[in-house]
Amino acid sequence: MLIFLLRRLVAGVLLLFVISTITYVLLYFSSDGIAQNILGEFATPEQIALKQAELGLDQPLPVRYLEWLGGAITGDFGRSWFTSEPVVSALFNRLPVTLTIVIGALVIAAVLAALLGVAAAIKRGWVDRAVQLLSLAGDALPSFVVAIVLVTSLAIQARIFPATGFVPFAENPTLWLMSIALPITALVFQLVAQAAQQFRSAIIDVRRRDFVRTLRSRGLSEREVVFKHVLRSAAPAALTILSLQFVGLLGGSVIIEQIFALPGVGPLAVLSTTQGDIPIVMGVVVYTVVMVIIVNLVVDLVNGWLNPKVRVS
Amino acid sequence: MKLRSRAALAAMLTTGALVLTGCGAGGGDAGGTPAPGASGGTLTLGSLVDVTSFDPAASHVGHYMQYYQPVYDTLILREPNGDLSPMLATDWEYDDTNTELTMNLRDDVTFSDGEKFDAEAVKANIEHFKAANGPQASTAASIEGVRVVDEDTAVIELSAPDPGILLYMAASAGFMGSPAALDTEGIIADPVGSGPYELDVAATVTGATYTYTKRDDYWNPDLQKFDKIVIKSMQDVTARVNALVSGQINAGLLDAKTAVQGEGAGLTEITNPVDWQGLFLFDRAGSQAEPLGDVRVRQAINYAIDRQSLLDSLLLGNGEITSQITGTASAGYVEELDGYYDFDPKKAKALLTDAGYPDGFEITLPVNSADTIINAAIVQQLADVGITATQVVIPSTDYRNEIFTGKYSLGYYGIFQGDPWVAINHHIGPNAAFNPLKYTDDESAALIKEVQAGDDDAAQALTEYITEEAWFAPFYRVNQLYFFDKTVTVENQLQQAVPSIYNYAPAA
Amino acid sequence: MSEAVVQGTTAPVVVVRSGVVKRLLKNPLAVAALVLLVGTVLASVLAPVLATHDPNYGDLQTVLANPSAEHLLGTDSLGRDVFSRLLFASQITLAAAALAAVVAIAIGVPAGITAGYFGGLFDGSANWVTNMLMSLPGIIVLLAVRAATGPSVWISMLVFGVLLAPSFYRLTRTAVKSVRNELYVDAARVSGLSDTRIMSRHIFSVVRAPIIIQTANVAGVAIAIQSGLEFLGLGDPLVPTWGVMLSDAFRNVYLNPLLLLWPALAIAITTVCLAILGNALRDSLEDGQKIPKVRTTRAARTTAPVASAVSTDTATNAVADHLLVVDGLRVGYPQAGGGMKTVVDGVSLHVDRGEVLGIVGESGSGKSQTAFSVLGLLPEEAEILGGSITIGSTRTVTPGSRAVAQGRIASLRGKGIAYIPQEPMSNLDPAFTIGYQLVRPMVKVLGVSKAEAKKRALDLLATVGIANPQRTFDAYPHEISGGMAQRVLIAGAVSCEPDLLIADEPTTALDVTVQAEVLDLLRDLQKRLGMGMIIVTHNFGVVSDICDRVVVMKDGKLVEGGDVRTILRAPEHEYTRQLLASTLEGKEPMSMLTTGTRA
Repeated sequence: MLIFLLRRLVAGVLLLFVISTITYVLLYFSSDGIAQNILGEFATPEQIALKQAELGLDQPLPVRYLEWLGGAITGDFGRSWFTSEPVVSALFNRLPVTLTIVIGALVIAAVLAALLGVAAAIKRGWVDRAVQLLSLAGDALPSFVVAIVLVTSLAIQARIFPATGFVPFAENPTLWLMSIALPITALVFQLVAQAAQQFRSAIIDVRRRDFVRTLRSRGLSEREVVFKHVLRSAAPAALTILSLQFVGLLGGSVIIEQIFALPGVGPLAVLSTTQGDIPIVMGVVVYTVVMVIIVNLVVDLVNGWLNPKVRVS
Repeated sequence: MKLRSRAALAAMLTTGALVLTGCGAGGGDAGGTPAPGASGGTLTLGSLVDVTSFDPAASHVGHYMQYYQPVYDTLILREPNGDLSPMLATDWEYDDTNTELTMNLRDDVTFSDGEKFDAEAVKANIEHFKAANGPQASTAASIEGVRVVDEDTAVIELSAPDPGILLYMAASAGFMGSPAALDTEGIIADPVGSGPYELDVAATVTGATYTYTKRDDYWNPDLQKFDKIVIKSMQDVTARVNALVSGQINAGLLDAKTAVQGEGAGLTEITNPVDWQGLFLFDRAGSQAEPLGDVRVRQAINYAIDRQSLLDSLLLGNGEITSQITGTASAGYVEELDGYYDFDPKKAKALLTDAGYPDGFEITLPVNSADTIINAAIVQQLADVGITATQVVIPSTDYRNEIFTGKYSLGYYGIFQGDPWVAINHHIGPNAAFNPLKYTDDESAALIKEVQAGDDDAAQALTEYITEEAWFAPFYRVNQLYFFDKTVTVENQLQQAVPSIYNYAPAA
Repeated sequence: MSEAVVQGTTAPVVVVRSGVVKRLLKNPLAVAALVLLVGTVLASVLAPVLATHDPNYGDLQTVLANPSAEHLLGTDSLGRDVFSRLLFASQITLAAAALAAVVAIAIGVPAGITAGYFGGLFDGSANWVTNMLMSLPGIIVLLAVRAATGPSVWISMLVFGVLLAPSFYRLTRTAVKSVRNELYVDAARVSGLSDTRIMSRHIFSVVRAPIIIQTANVAGVAIAIQSGLEFLGLGDPLVPTWGVMLSDAFRNVYLNPLLLLWPALAIAITTVCLAILGNALRDSLEDGQKIPKVRTTRAARTTAPVASAVSTDTATNAVADHLLVVDGLRVGYPQAGGGMKTVVDGVSLHVDRGEVLGIVGESGSGKSQTAFSVLGLLPEEAEILGGSITIGSTRTVTPGSRAVAQGRIASLRGKGIAYIPQEPMSNLDPAFTIGYQLVRPMVKVLGVSKAEAKKRALDLLATVGIANPQRTFDAYPHEISGGMAQRVLIAGAVSCEPDLLIADEPTTALDVTVQAEVLDLLRDLQKRLGMGMIIVTHNFGVVSDICDRVVVMKDGKLVEGGDVRTILRAPEHEYTRQLLASTLEGKEPMSMLTTGTRA
């Protein structure tokens, strides 16, 4: 177990290193007019030069990168070039919102996918076809298009949900729920699709297995056999798909957060990349990769818990 | 097994809750809850901008004022109607040469860190303001130094008469911070001023929410109308209108397209014609774009624009078309000039032919990525008279810096309609930052000198000159559309994008 | 397989292609999707012809107008005709998506072929790069690229193509690897044709289909991502694309929400159709494996029991007396091309309390199918074609029913009737402990408490001869041996004290020594609990050991049945004799099998 975790960690760190290097190099080429942008139109050439020195923009790429790397390893990602806010605190302030909708979407999608997969696999017939079609649509439709439709119909026209804004749970649980309902729905739509299909195939598959037949012969109810036993063996396939989709989920959440004006990492990512605020962009990239690594790890662990045989490997 | 059923249960509960609470829009009580009376409660504002540094030298005017006013007092207070009143300075007087401004200061003011406000503090602040080279640094350009006469008397020494100084002392240059904090890095996130409120750092999230709480030993309790002020940074107008309509904020700025929602929600609207919008014709000398050097060409551009249609379709009529850059409240305003250029493409073409461009010409037009619609209309209307404009898209975050570097010969922008001297310094004078190609000519230079000396007639003459010489192609004066709910009363602030903090009060 | 490869490599390809397209066109959804997609592409190509207005010309007098005769889809915030803009926007959007797909294929496919063919270092490093690329969230990367290079649809899609390459790489590599393994051996036999030639010809046909499917999916994703970025306002605002139109519409949502509909529809329809097409392509390739639900004709089903070759059982099938009565049972499986394969053809038998019946036959004789029919655990595809089954006083299969009555059999399972499977390891749920799998059914079926059930389970485990019951109780199936697993299964089967126990080849999967022990155990339990038992086996040794009566099945039919001793000593039917003769006991080595026995 420990070795497994260690190996994952090492692989993750390596991944981080490579991705951050590539990103930094990419961004290096965009940092030309930064000093002017930060200081504004009244900046004198001397001010600009001073600012550039302050930000280290006058140094060659390897030096700058190593400096950033050195700081990053110790947990210091520097400060935003525009707001002087420490990158780490900027991210941490926004993380709860993003995590709420992303993890909320994952969990709800997993549950819905399981239910839909069961329905499709067992009922077959028109239920199966309907689920397949919905899955197809859900998978193909970009989540932000779904979000736009939801916002326009349920929030702007019908005024049922708030169109924008995030209410912290501590402030008002009901409003919190209302404020995340639409964003999560938009994200879930796309997630459920593929996962439901996976569940369906896996359930059909597992149901044919010998032990399922034997369990039924013992007198256990069909419901118990399906929900306790079949699902458990079928889950790993679907959860793996969900973890693969997590990457796309992070991307989709960026747009969703913009649409709903949620103070998550998304708007920070968009703003920092349009401004060229490199410390923040690097912070966002690192955070993204870390999230992906963590989620993959968690899914592996969950799969191991669900299926002890997998644990050993 | 357990995971499944529990998760399923959770999902059902969530769905159930959603259904149950589905009726009725959210009506949070994050708004102001004032006691019937003069003060109390929380004022929550939605702001178009985000403050990046609480250093008073970094302050900007307009939208940004709301962030600094709670924590910093200015030397002079500008009333909603534009009049100047005492604040940290009790009275002031120029000498005969108009180059020395003596200011008598209050002696009962302390900063929130305990430091005393005195003439030394004034000196420290103004010197800091100049040295920091912030966005409003040019307003202190004519200040040579501050002479401390005694504890509550300071003399501001000017290099030349500056009719705008008093206004500047009521704005960014006039914010007074504690000298002890001025040069520290801490002041960026934790302001130390003498203002009616203090920033509650714990309840503040950079980029999202700024919370100010009432300061106990403030010298002017009349200005403290609320117990708490919360400013939410909401750049997105959709976010603002939703926050307003749902009660998350008490007041905020909307735009022409969202005003409908504000009205529909029963909010009160006050309008304030702060900016004019239109084309800056930078290259009046024709150094880069030769055609622009000819006044007839610039006039042709003015005739080519269908101001009324633009106003009606893009701003839904929220404004007034105009041909002059001066606002109605300014001393330089000349009413007849509003309609100086009407929409006349034929005349435009004739002028172009006169100037030697019967087939028009080509020109490069920088385009703010957030303003593609208006620029597309401009391109179309210019094309209708033969001027082919090639668009260069500039990211909105870079736009202002880019077009005022002198790279472009013209560009679309919106500028406040200020008092004559302020406007001259800002975008008319030869050294104004918003006159990047530094155009000047004898006539305007002479008029500017007279305005500097305080001659109002000269101001009007200058406006006439600029309009006839088509230095700009103004489209319209735009109404700022400010909305607020029933819990507060608000007064507009002259020539300012949003009301000053002092203009809000709980509704009776 | 080998012949086909060498001779007509092209021939099967041709057959496959037309078959795929034909099947595709039979799918109404796919046809609709294809029509819509082709229509969209055509419309975009013909944009200059179809457009009613200049897409960039804005009429300020009719801003944000609703659809009208003049403007088919209305106008946007500048008064530009939405319909015309949509057409021209299609060009850009579709072209950009195509760019992403082309780049992805151009990078992924050659890399996949190289990695699949050569393996080694390239394969390893390419795998690592692939994993890395797939861990990157597309939007973040595109945002970073945009920060570096500015807004440009083409650069974005180029980079996105790189990000999408891994998927093509993977499927190409898999295809190449599978083909390589197959051909490598065969190719060695063929002279004159080089590896590469065979590889390239065969790869092309194998890889082509997955690539086409993946392209359909990838194009959809590219459109989605591209539109997403433009919607954020990060695209090139001067170029009309669906995303830019969507962004503009959203900004005016309070004034005319209808504007959102058109670009949203364009994006939605295109992406969904691409997905449907991709899916349909995949289905039509795999369709050979799908078995349609065949409606069995009246002729195939009989209501009257078929007269069986053996008359013994018919006479004694007085329902009330026996524990189990099977009367003229017929079971079949619908076939892919229509038609029905009958696996149980008119079987009649009975079992009484306390007696052990053996069902003997070779594989394919239908004995297990009969057993499953009694248990009601036939696979989904199976159909009851006729006959009846009665357990105790409950009719679980009535003449005319197409399946076992689940409602009735369910209440019998565990307590009335139990099952010991053949293969021990695959019949335990790997995710639960042995103990759980023993305790839970008891709690449910017998209604005892968990503690009581645990006690009983431990006793049972001891009874079936497991040395350390507690340890086995706590263990997971993969932690115990085959023999122990079989004992556990036996314990589980008898745990609820069933009246009838059906054991399906209970000793076949076990070592010889264990076999004897298990048989002893079964005999013991049966005597103790007074159960009726059916043992399905192909081994007459087992039959002689434990059974009281035996029936012999061949090709779904019952050929003989009766008392064990009688049958063993004096088999009447030809087939029974052959079966008996083919056991190795007492046989002289190297003697030929008599004719008639299946090879």
